[in-house]
Amino acid sequence: MGFIEENEKERKEFVHKWAKYVRTHSDKDWSEQQNVIINSALKSANMTREQFFKMKGETNYVK
Amino acid sequence: MKFIDKKTIEIDRELSELDKFTLNFIKILEKHVNYVLVSGYVSILLGRARVSEDVDVIIQKIDSSTFQALYNELKKNNYYCLNAEKDSTIYEYLSDNLAVRFAKKDKIIPNVELKWVKHKFDKLALENTIDVKLSKGSLKISHLELQIAFKQEVLKSPKDIDDADHIKEVAKEYLDNELIQKYKEMLRGFY
Repeated sequence: MGFIEENEKERKEFVHKWAKYVRTHSDKDWSEQQNVIINSALKSANMTREQFFKMKGETNYVK
Repeated sequence: MKFIDKKTIEIDRELSELDKFTLNFIKILEKHVNYVLVSGYVSILLGRARVSEDVDVIIQKIDSSTFQALYNELKKNNYYCLNAEKDSTIYEYLSDNLAVRFAKKDKIIPNVELKWVKHKFDKLALENTIDVKLSKGSLKISHLELQIAFKQEVLKSPKDIDDADHIKEVAKEYLDNELIQKYKEMLRGFY
């Protein structure tokens, strides 16, 4: 198995494992962990409007 | 996470900054127009371990005076439109079936991507919602079978496939798998 396939397999395994964790644990438990990812990413998000629209491929929609 | 019935899910989750942003925006939006949350944020709300810079919202078509009232209230609450400044231009975008984005003043991320109902699948999403009850309010999300089918059949990126896999696992005991297949066939004929 090549690097890409191995990487994809691991990602899929994690998605499944985490979803099972969410299903079998309390909402407080999993959300506390999930929020570490969400809140830190939003806190460090630093982008101009132009960069954001470029990333989204929506540069024609800005006036 | 409790699946109370086909139309209600209760989640006693600690609210993330993205949840708080969404709840605040929706509290204003729902006073003016019927809406449904779709795509990535749905899976995140249901626990997927990833972030999104935007929250996708579909609304029914509205006339310009309703939009004006909505936008005035958004501005009063420190939101702005990332696409344009003039109210008439924003309304024009929506009328042309383009999405417009709103964020809090001086912020780009997170933002809400708002669009009008465009085709029968948007209409299906808008007409078949699930109320997700949270500690500080509730949010209307698209029914999960359509979300899964759309992500697996139309969007198909690794991120979307993983979103669909996540929803399938967390809601496995409550999903109508025949309905997912039916939607997939409908989507195949449409796209």
